[in-house]
Amino acid sequence: MVGDVNLDAEDDLPEEEEDLLPEEVPEEDASPQDTELVLKAQRGDVHAFDELVERYHGKIYGLTYNMTSNREDAEDLTQEVFVKAFEALPRFQGKSSFYTWIYRIAVNKTINYRKKRNRKRALSLDQFDQEIKMDGSYHDLTSKGSPLRNISLSELQIKLNEALQNLSEKHRTVVVMHDMQGIPHEDIAKVVGASVGTVRSRLFYARRQMQAELSEFMK
Amino acid sequence: MMGENKNQETTAENPADVLLQQLLHLKRYEIPDTHRMVKNKQNIMRLVRESSSRKRWSLSDLIEVNIPWFFAEPRYGIAALFIVFAGLQFVGVNSQRQAAHNKMGIYTSDQGLASLDASMAASTNRFTYPKIPNNLQLFASPSGGDGTIRPVGLREQSQ
Repeated sequence: MVGDVNLDAEDDLPEEEEDLLPEEVPEEDASPQDTELVLKAQRGDVHAFDELVERYHGKIYGLTYNMTSNREDAEDLTQEVFVKAFEALPRFQGKSSFYTWIYRIAVNKTINYRKKRNRKRALSLDQFDQEIKMDGSYHDLTSKGSPLRNISLSELQIKLNEALQNLSEKHRTVVVMHDMQGIPHEDIAKVVGASVGTVRSRLFYARRQMQAELSEFMK
Repeated sequence: MMGENKNQETTAENPADVLLQQLLHLKRYEIPDTHRMVKNKQNIMRLVRESSSRKRWSLSDLIEVNIPWFFAEPRYGIAALFIVFAGLQFVGVNSQRQAAHNKMGIYTSDQGLASLDASMAASTNRFTYPKIPNNLQLFASPSGGDGTIRPVGLREQSQ
C-alpha cells in the first residue's frame, strides 16, 4: 500500500493528478450582493455585516472544525474570525472576493491558534447526521466486500479525525478545503497564497499520508 | 489521441484513493448542533456591535471608506498628493514674498547697546570694550508723560 511519505518533496510532484470528486463545485461567492453588503458594512452598517455572518458562518465553522476536530475550538475561532473581519473591513479594498478574504483570515487564525497551543487538543466531534445512512459512500464502506465493514461509525469517525490531525497545517488546509468543502484548486491557491501546482501537490501528499495513517483499516 | 490516453491514465482511480475519498466524504455528515450554531452567531453579532460601538474612526479609515478611489487607483492618489504639495509650495512662496515687501514684526535697534567698536578693533588689532559705569542703571525712573519705565542705554549713561 502506501508507505511513509516524504512531505518535503512536494515540488517534484507530478501535477496531473485529477480530482476524485468532480461533483464538488462550490458556488461562486463573489456575487454583487456580497460587494454591496461589504460596502454597507464598511460604512458602519452592522446589519449588513450580520447578513454576511449568516451567509458564511457555516462554511467558516466547517473549515475551523475540520482543521481542529474540536467543536469548542471551532466555535471560538469562528467568532474570532468574524470579529477580526469586521475590524479589518475598512482596509478591505475588494481586490479579492469577500469569500476569499475571510477564508484567508480563517486559515491564518486557525493555524496561529494551533501554534499557540503546542500540544494536541482532544477530539470533540460533532454528531453524524442520520442521513449518512442514505449515502452511497456509506453503503459502499459498510458493504460485505469493504475492508471497513466491521468498524463502527464512531470508531471510523475518530480514526479519520486523528489521521486528519496528524497532517501538517498546510496539508490539512488543502484537504479540508478541497475534499471536504469542495473548493476548487484555483480558489485554494488564492487563499493559501500558493500556486495551483503547489496546492495539487500538497493535496496529493496529504492523501498519501492519510492513506498511510488509515492503512490498517484499508487492507 | 495521445492526450486522451494520458487523461485516461491519470484519472484511473486507485481503490485506496476511492476508499479515502469515500471516508472524507462521510465527514460532510458531521453536523454541528443547531442551537450551538445559533448561539455562536448571536455571540458574533453581539461582539461585532460591541466592537462597532467602541470603534473610533481614524482619519485614515474615514479616508479609505469615503474616498476609496484614492487607494484603489494609486496614480490618482499620487496625483492628488502632488497637487496638494504644489499648492502648499505656492502658498509658502507667496507668503515669503509678502514678508519681504511688508515691514512687519519687531525690529530692534542697536542704539544704546553696549557693543564692540568694530572699526577700532580692526585698526588696533585688539578688542576695545566700551567703558561700563560702576553703577549701571538699567531703567530710568518715570518722569512725566505716561509714567512708562524706559530702558536706559549704555551710551546714554556713559555720556
